Amino acid sequence: HSDMRAVGKWTWLTLKLHLLRHNVLSFVSSRTGSDFTRRQYDVIVVGGGHAGTEAAAAAARLGAETLLITQKIMTIGALSCNPSLGGVGKGQLVREVDALDGLCGRAGDAAGVHFSILNRSKGPAVWGPRAQLDRERYRQFIQSELLSTPRLTVLEGSVDELLVSQPNPEEPGHHRVTGIRLVDGSHPILSSSVVLTTGTFLSGSLFMGQTTSPGGRMGDAQSCAGLSYTLKETLGLRVGRLRTGTPPRIVKESVDLSLAQLQAPDKQPTPFSFLNTHTRCKPEEQLPCYLTHTTPGVERVVRESVHLNCHIQQDAKGPRYCPSIESRVLRFPGRRHQVWLEPEGLTSDLLYPQGLSMTMPPELQLRLLREIPALHRAEIRTPGYGVQYDFVCPTQLTPSLQVKSTQGLFLAGQINGTTGYEEAAAQGLWAGVNAGRTALSLPPMALSRTQSYIGVLIDDLVGRGVTEPYRMFTSRAEFRTYLRPDNADLRLTPRGFEEVGCVTLRRYKKAVSVRDGLQEALMALQSVALSSTRWREKLVCSLTLLYHVSFSLSGLDLLQYKDVSFEMLASAFPECLSQYFEYSQRLKIEAVYRPHCEKQSREMERIRSEESLSLPSDMDYLSLPVSLSQEVREILDRVRPNTVSLSKTTTNHISTVYAILVKCYKYLQIMCLIDKLGYFLCQ
Amino acid sequence: IFFVHRASPSARGLCIPTRAVCDAETIFALSSGHGRCGVAVVRVSGPASSMVLRNMAGLTQALPPPRTALLRRITDPKSKELLDRGLVLWFKGSLEGVRPAEAGEFTRRAFHAGKLGLTEVEGLGDLIHAETEAQRRQALRQMDGELGRLYQDWSYRLKRCLAHVEAFIDFSEDELIEDGVLNQVDSSVRQLETEIERHLKDERRGERLRTGVQVVIAGATNAGKSSLLNTHRVPPSRGTTRRPLVEREGVRRARQRVEQADLTLVVVDSTQLPPDPQLVAAFLQQHLSTVLPSPEAGMTAASDKVLLVLNKSDLVPEEQRERTEGELRERPGLPPACFLSCSTSTGLEDFLTVLQSRVKTLCGDPLSGAPSLTQARHRAHLQQSVQALNQYHQYRDQDLALAAEGVRLALTHLGRITGRVGAEEILDIIFRDFCIGK
Repeated sequence: HSDMRAVGKWTWLTLKLHLLRHNVLSFVSSRTGSDFTRRQYDVIVVGGGHAGTEAAAAAARLGAETLLITQKIMTIGALSCNPSLGGVGKGQLVREVDALDGLCGRAGDAAGVHFSILNRSKGPAVWGPRAQLDRERYRQFIQSELLSTPRLTVLEGSVDELLVSQPNPEEPGHHRVTGIRLVDGSHPILSSSVVLTTGTFLSGSLFMGQTTSPGGRMGDAQSCAGLSYTLKETLGLRVGRLRTGTPPRIVKESVDLSLAQLQAPDKQPTPFSFLNTHTRCKPEEQLPCYLTHTTPGVERVVRESVHLNCHIQQDAKGPRYCPSIESRVLRFPGRRHQVWLEPEGLTSDLLYPQGLSMTMPPELQLRLLREIPALHRAEIRTPGYGVQYDFVCPTQLTPSLQVKSTQGLFLAGQINGTTGYEEAAAQGLWAGVNAGRTALSLPPMALSRTQSYIGVLIDDLVGRGVTEPYRMFTSRAEFRTYLRPDNADLRLTPRGFEEVGCVTLRRYKKAVSVRDGLQEALMALQSVALSSTRWREKLVCSLTLLYHVSFSLSGLDLLQYKDVSFEMLASAFPECLSQYFEYSQRLKIEAVYRPHCEKQSREMERIRSEESLSLPSDMDYLSLPVSLSQEVREILDRVRPNTVSLSKTTTNHISTVYAILVKCYKYLQIMCLIDKLGYFLCQ
Repeated sequence: IFFVHRASPSARGLCIPTRAVCDAETIFALSSGHGRCGVAVVRVSGPASSMVLRNMAGLTQALPPPRTALLRRITDPKSKELLDRGLVLWFKGSLEGVRPAEAGEFTRRAFHAGKLGLTEVEGLGDLIHAETEAQRRQALRQMDGELGRLYQDWSYRLKRCLAHVEAFIDFSEDELIEDGVLNQVDSSVRQLETEIERHLKDERRGERLRTGVQVVIAGATNAGKSSLLNTHRVPPSRGTTRRPLVEREGVRRARQRVEQADLTLVVVDSTQLPPDPQLVAAFLQQHLSTVLPSPEAGMTAASDKVLLVLNKSDLVPEEQRERTEGELRERPGLPPACFLSCSTSTGLEDFLTVLQSRVKTLCGDPLSGAPSLTQARHRAHLQQSVQALNQYHQYRDQDLALAAEGVRLALTHLGRITGRVGAEEILDIIFRDFCIGK
C-alpha cells in the first residue's frame, strides 16, 4: 500500500516539476491538488511564505509526512515586499537557517543579483551578508526545492477552520489540534500537528488613502476569517494588532539614475550558504543599487495629505525602524531621509524605492515621488499601501513555538508579531522541526539564546512578547562575539543532524570536516611558538606591538594582532600551516574572538542552566502556597514564564522583586525563589 | 566565625537532578550584617574553598573533619599576617579565582545543587520577603541619594554611549547615522573614565563613613594612652571612631596596626619633654620615628594621619608650655600637637576640635561636595567598569563589535549597582536619538 502511495505521489511530483518549468503549475495543481492529497498527514503547514516554506521543508526533512496548504501555489516563495535578503543581524539569521539546512540561504545564492557584506569595517561578529534578489529566480528556486522534497505535498486552498479536540491528559494544554477544514467545505484533512504561518492575513485589512479593504496582500484573496475566529474564540488566544506597509513600485525607465548615487556590489560575491562556494550570478553580472534623498517637497506633500491618509491616523503599532515615509517625516521633521533604489531582478523593468513605504492616495504618491530629483518623471506601476493585521501575543507560545494551551499547534512568522523574511524563515524552520517532532512522538526542542540568533529571536518573543513588529538586531544578542555569521555551521549543523534531525547527511559531513580542519589548524598554530624577536625576523614586517612582549608567543597569539594574517604565518611555517589555506579567514576571526568568547563562557553556562529549568505552563500562580505579593502573582499569571531564566526581564517593571517559580521536574513540586531579594540574605 | 563550605548536593532536602554548573568560580561574602558586630560569618563557596581554608586557617596538612568546628588563627593568605581568631567549619562537597558573590548567588547555587527543598524555599521566601521589604526601602533610599544619582547619571550616559555605538553597528549601513557619532562616544567614554577614576581615588572616605575610622593610640608606657581613651567617652564625630589600644610591648605588631590605621594618636608625656622649647621639635621627631613605621611604609611624621597628644600638661609650668606651643606651631615638619591633661581635662576641647576636623577630612563630609563610595562591592564593580572601558579604546578602530563589548561590559558592572540594563532600553535610546527608517 505504501509503495503504491509513494509511486503515486512521486509521479505527481515529477509531473509538477515538469509543469513548473512550463509555468503552468498553478493551473494544474489547483484542479488536481485535492485528487492527489491524502486525508491524514503528520504535519500540515498553512501558508507558503518564508515561514511556511521553511516549516514544511524542515518537517519533511525530519521524516514527517507533510502537507503545505497555500492560497496560490504561484505565490509560494514570493517576496511580497523588498527584493532583498540578509543585512546586519538578518544575515546572521540566514546563515543559521542555512546551517540547519533551511532553504533561504541557498535560494538567496541562486537569486541574488547584488551581493555585499555590510559592516565590513566593523568587525566580523557584526558583518551583515546581504543580497538584492531577482524575485522570479527566488520564487522558482523555492518552488522547485519544495516540489522535489520527499514526503512533502503542496495543496492549493484556503483554510477555513482549525479542528481541535480534547487534550492529551498527560501533557499540559486545554485542546489538541487534529487537523483543518478547507473553505470549499470538503472533507477535513487530519494531522498530528499544524503550523500556522498566515502572515498578514489574520483579520488583515489594506489601506490606501481613505479606502480600506479586507486582505493581507494586494491582489490576493481575502483574509482567513474562519481561522481568526478559531484562534480567538475557540482557543481563547490573546491577539494584538500591528501594521506595516510597502512602497510603490516604480518603472525603471522613468527614473533619471544619473541624479542618484551609484552603489556597487562587492566585487566578489560571498554566498549565504555554507554549501556554496560561489553564487549563481557571476560577479560581473551583478546589478547596482542607487542612493538618493528626500527633499523638503516630500515633507510638504506628506503634511498636505495627512487628512487623506487613514493608515497614518490609525493607532495600531507600527515598527519604529521601518516606518512609512509619512511617519518618518512627521517624527523627524526638517531632515533629509535616504531612499535606496533597488533592482527587482535581472529582467524586471521595475525599481523598488526602499524607504518610501507610503499609504497616501495614489495620485499624491506620484506627486511625492516627483519631489525627489532622480524621480521627477517617475511612473508608478503599483502604488504603495498599508496593511493592518492581527498577531497572536507570542508569550502564549513555548520555546518550541507551540501554543501553550493547544497541543500540536505551532505558529511562525508575522503571526507572532515579527517582521522580515529572515525572522519568518528562522521561526518557520524551528516550528517545522517541532511540529515534525511532535508528530513523530519526539520531545520538543528549544534553541538557547547562547547558541544562536534564532534562539535569541524565539526567547525574546516567547519570554518578553512584542509591542511593535519585532526585527532582529545584533544588539539583541548578548553573546554577539560568539554568534557570528562565520561560525553558524559549527554552532548548529552538528547538533541539527545529531539531535534535531533536520540536517541532511551531506551537509553534516561537510560541517564535520570543516570543524575538524579548523581544530587541526588551530592546534598547528598553537604548536608554533617563538620569542617575539624571532617572530620579527621570521615575518620580516615590523610589528611594533611585539617590542613590548618578553615571553614567547604562539602562532595563535600572533594571529590576534591587527596586522598579522594567516597567510603571513603560513609563509613563515609553510610545512605545517600551508595545508590550511582554505580556512585562513575563519582562523583569523577565531584567533581574534576566542579570548573574548572564553570570557563570556561562564555567563553563557549560567543562562543555559537556567534555560534548562522549565516551568509548567499551567501553573496556578494565583493560589500558589508561597509568599508572593499579589502584584507578582498577577504578573506571573499573565506572563507565564517558560523557564527560570534570569536573562529575561519578564518582571522588569518591578525590578527589585524577582520572583522565580521553579518546577521540580518529576514531582511538579513548586518552589519559589525571589532571586534579587535573595541577594540581601547573603549580605 | 569563619565559615568555609562548598556548594554540593546534600542528603538533606529534596535532591534535584540538575547539571553541576556555575560552580567554576569560588565566591565569598560576609553573610552576617555590616558594621560593628560581635560575630561575623564569612561564607566561601566553590572549588577553591579548600585551598582558601588551608591557606587562611594555617592548615598545611589535612583538612579538618567535615562539619566540625575548629578554633584557628586566621591569617592573610599572602602576608601571613594575623587577621583574627575564629572558628572554621568545613562542609565537604563532591565537587579555582575567588570573587565576591553576586545578588542571590548563594541561594541560586544552593538551588542548583539541590539543597533547597519545597518547604525550605517557602520559608526562605517568607524570610526574604519580610527582611527585604525593609532592606529594599533602605536600598532605594540610598540609591535615591546623591550617590545613587551619581551612579544613575553614569549609567545613563554609558547607556547612551552604548546605544550610539549599537546604532552605528546596526544601522549605519542603511541609514543616515552621522559620522560624528563615534567621535562623540569617544569623548563621552573618556570623560566617564576620568570621573569614575576620580571617584575611585577618594581614599576610601565613604567606606570609612560606613564602617568606621580606625584610630590607633600609640605611645610609651605610662604616657597616658588609657587615660586618653577613657577621657572621651563621647565619640568626637558621628560615632565613627573605633579605638583599639596598643600597648608598647609587641612593638612589631603595634607598628603594623599603625600602618593600617586611618589615624594615629601619638601620646607623649609632657613632663618628659626637654625643658628648652628649642629642643622639643627635635625630640618629638626622634620619638615619632620610634613609634611610627619607617617612612618607606608611606607614613612620615608629617603625614596628616598622625596627631601628637602632649599629655599631663597640668604637670608642666604654664610658661614653658606656652613657649613650646609657639615653637611647635612654626614647625611644618611635625604633625599638629595638642597639649592636654587627661586628669584635669584642660585642653580637651581644643584637642577634640582638631580630632574632629581630621576625622571629617578622612571620611569626607557627606553633606557637601562630590559623594563618595560607600561599599567595597561598588568599588570592585566601578574598577571593572573602568577596565572594560579601556577595551573600548583598544578596539575602537580595529573591531567595533569588540569595542562595543567593552562598553556593554562596563554597563553590566555599573548595572550591578544601579540595576540591570536590557537590550530593549538600548533600542529605546537608539530610536529616540536617530531616525531609523529602513
